[in-house]
Amino acid sequence: MAVLEVQKLRKQYPSFLLDDVSFTLEEGRIMGFIGRNGAGKTTTLKSILRLVHPDGGAVRIYGMDMQEHEREIKQRLGYAGGAVDYYKRKKIKDIVYVTRSFYENWDDNAYRKYMDAFSLDENKTPQQLSEGMRVKFSLVLSLSHRAKLLILDEPTSGLDPVSRAELLETFRFLKEKGVSILFSTHITTDLENCADDITYIAKGKLIASESLDAFLARSAAEGAGENLEQIMVHYEKETLYEKLAD
Amino acid sequence: MKSLLIKEMRLASSPLSYIFLVAAGMTLLPGYPILVGAFFICFGIFHSFQNAREANDTLYTVLLPVKKSDFVGAKYVFTCMIQTLGFTLCAALTAVRMTALSSSAPYVNNAMMNPSPVSLAFTLLIFAAFNVLFVGGYFKTAYKIGMPFLFFGIAALLLIAAAETLHHLPGLGFLNTTTGERLGLQLGVLAAAALVYAAVTALACRTAKKRFERIDL
Repeated sequence: MAVLEVQKLRKQYPSFLLDDVSFTLEEGRIMGFIGRNGAGKTTTLKSILRLVHPDGGAVRIYGMDMQEHEREIKQRLGYAGGAVDYYKRKKIKDIVYVTRSFYENWDDNAYRKYMDAFSLDENKTPQQLSEGMRVKFSLVLSLSHRAKLLILDEPTSGLDPVSRAELLETFRFLKEKGVSILFSTHITTDLENCADDITYIAKGKLIASESLDAFLARSAAEGAGENLEQIMVHYEKETLYEKLAD
Repeated sequence: MKSLLIKEMRLASSPLSYIFLVAAGMTLLPGYPILVGAFFICFGIFHSFQNAREANDTLYTVLLPVKKSDFVGAKYVFTCMIQTLGFTLCAALTAVRMTALSSSAPYVNNAMMNPSPVSLAFTLLIFAAFNVLFVGGYFKTAYKIGMPFLFFGIAALLLIAAAETLHHLPGLGFLNTTTGERLGLQLGVLAAAALVYAAVTALACRTAKKRFERIDL
């Protein structure tokens, strides 16, 4: 079952075009959304969430149009743009007190379980947490209302290797629980450890959207590289040496 | 809307929005332009918008299971709530000054505007200007607060100047009388201002919702 369907998403900025990006995320799978900085990953994710207004295309979540069923879809969706960066001086318990009142499916037991598992203290403020802990708090908020689709924008950026490994382990656990995850990153090694599918965009255009195994096999056959990093470098490396030498 | 209002009070607002309500006490100052109190009450609300902006309140809220337009509506409800509290305090102090303190020496020969239903009417007009120029202007971008507040400040200054000037003009002395003989007329002015406040705020809120819907966050 398709959890998220993105069809011909288009957004025009003065110096950037997100050009008819399409992909589908199936239930219980982890999709890595890759591309170099400025490729259009965040624009795509924000367009899905209606934080920016696409000039064309359609987004359906659980088969529903986001514009028409915004409240209903958001009840079942969690978004984290990396670490929590709101109300940094408010205590976590105050943020949670307010947040829980918006969700029909808020589960206090789940909240306690994830807070304990991530060693988060609700008497602290986000400002007192490390980057990795703030990412985890962001996940706790999403998971406590039993979100079945997580959209994460660069959740592993800025994290140390141990925190990244813990986060990826969390993703694998959630996948087993039936949660679908779309997460953007340019740290490709993260994906090789946990992603089922890859969607790759470059300069606003879709390069590929398929299973990770198929993508790696096809790229290897084309001589583009053996892993995601080599493939990205193969497709996108510019000849800066000659430019600098001129 | 109830949850959004609780969010405004517990997370987004600044304590200054409540503290600045004491500016309603300016109603009791003799020889002073008492409507400056209304400006300061709005200045307190401005701090909540500033606080919310610094705390990334917009992004947090629009990701909640609410419509984007609900976010704008909640800001207006919070603003009107503070203004209603401020107005109630001003009205109570106006009643005290018009009755128990009406013959007190410092108030008898007050050259400035006296507290009356007319001063309360101008208070509502200042609040209405804030709701249109500042809150409405803020939702053009959802982050620029300087220029909208400047425009409101100019409008508030002009309204205060008008209020302090009009009652000196021939035939308009009734705007400043506190003896009660023109109370009916003064209450009529207040009722008209209340209608203007309600209509203008409702219109500003509707426009702000449309503006905010178009913004790329």
